[in-house]
Amino acid sequence: MTTTNNDDVRRWSDELARDPSSLVFLQLGEALRRQGQLEVALKIALRGLERHQRHVAAHDLVARIAVDRRDFSRAFVEWELVLRIDPNHVGAMKGLGYLCFHQGRLDEAEQYLNKAAAGGAANDVKNALRMVRRTSDGATLSMVEAAASPAPPALPANPVNDPQYLFVDQLLDEAQTALLLDANGYVLAGVYLDADGKNVSADIGAQLSGISDEVRRSTRHLDIGEWKAITFETHATVVAMAPVAPDNLIVLAASRATPLGLMRRLLDKCSAFAADWLARTHRDGASE
Amino acid sequence: MSTPFATVLETLTRQRGVRASLVVSERDGVIVEASVRFGQDGDRIAALAASMYRKARLSARAARLGAVSFLQLDAERGRICAAGGGGDLVIVVVADPQANVGLIRMELLKALEGLPS
Repeated sequence: MTTTNNDDVRRWSDELARDPSSLVFLQLGEALRRQGQLEVALKIALRGLERHQRHVAAHDLVARIAVDRRDFSRAFVEWELVLRIDPNHVGAMKGLGYLCFHQGRLDEAEQYLNKAAAGGAANDVKNALRMVRRTSDGATLSMVEAAASPAPPALPANPVNDPQYLFVDQLLDEAQTALLLDANGYVLAGVYLDADGKNVSADIGAQLSGISDEVRRSTRHLDIGEWKAITFETHATVVAMAPVAPDNLIVLAASRATPLGLMRRLLDKCSAFAADWLARTHRDGASE
Repeated sequence: MSTPFATVLETLTRQRGVRASLVVSERDGVIVEASVRFGQDGDRIAALAASMYRKARLSARAARLGAVSFLQLDAERGRICAAGGGGDLVIVVVADPQANVGLIRMELLKALEGLPS
């Protein structure tokens, strides 16, 4: 089976090399995705998409690879594009339903899955729909995922509303990461994974939170007002930090290739999102 | 007496919105060379900017993020940019909030090439 797949991959690669405009990139990209070669699959799919910009299957392929890479924002955009080109595309409806459920947007998830079911989707979507409706009674993401996701492998079961995943929807790709820290440098939300996939949020939070005290001291003595953001570049990473009222700190890290202007916009976006989340959490806590 | 850094600092100070540019020792926060506008306290800027840069460098190293090469602080009424090349010397620029930070960063990184490592 593996030999056959590898033979196919080789054959499709050769064909694509001979004719870069061939639609065989769809099969090649899908095969690589299934093998877990996500970066290569994405490159192939994006190169194909450049030549076939309105090809529904190409956008769908990019979306499914994006889900496997946990780049949910990209997946969302691609499936929305699919629906713009083909409003009856059941796969895109299922995918968007899954993503909305993943983000806790249950009403929208239900709408997409309803449309998919009405569009003739199989029983799995109807099961997923029932689960979404029962979510408040304890249905889990993995149950809906199993039923509705068009891209079953490689996704961890992220609990909806888990603070670790608070910024997933705000960031543009999986190389970007955001942490919300309290005044003591403890992690309130977000996650920082090192190159080996190990969660090092607590270490990073503790180490970087001290910078804000130094910054506060400098701005006070230099009389330049309250600090709004600090950004620093290392050989591999760009880190941006900003205060989030009342005395929290948001830390955003991305690859060095990320433009500083984009970093600043992402920082503003994550700061505003974190402030909302803190206010909501505080309100919910007070009302209990 | 003019140091080899005078030309570098002149170029930086010519940028619109730049209030001060300095070469400082990161270790002890003292000025090696400075070009500051009237009313700016060079010694204070040098001490605070060097301390902030040092803290960022040590924190980034402790967090295993690598060596800091450029730092930018945005505040309500001013900006501080600093760049270091791995040695003790750091180039610091204090600018207005409206200053073109992209241009300042480019000039700072260019100026770094003239610093001893």
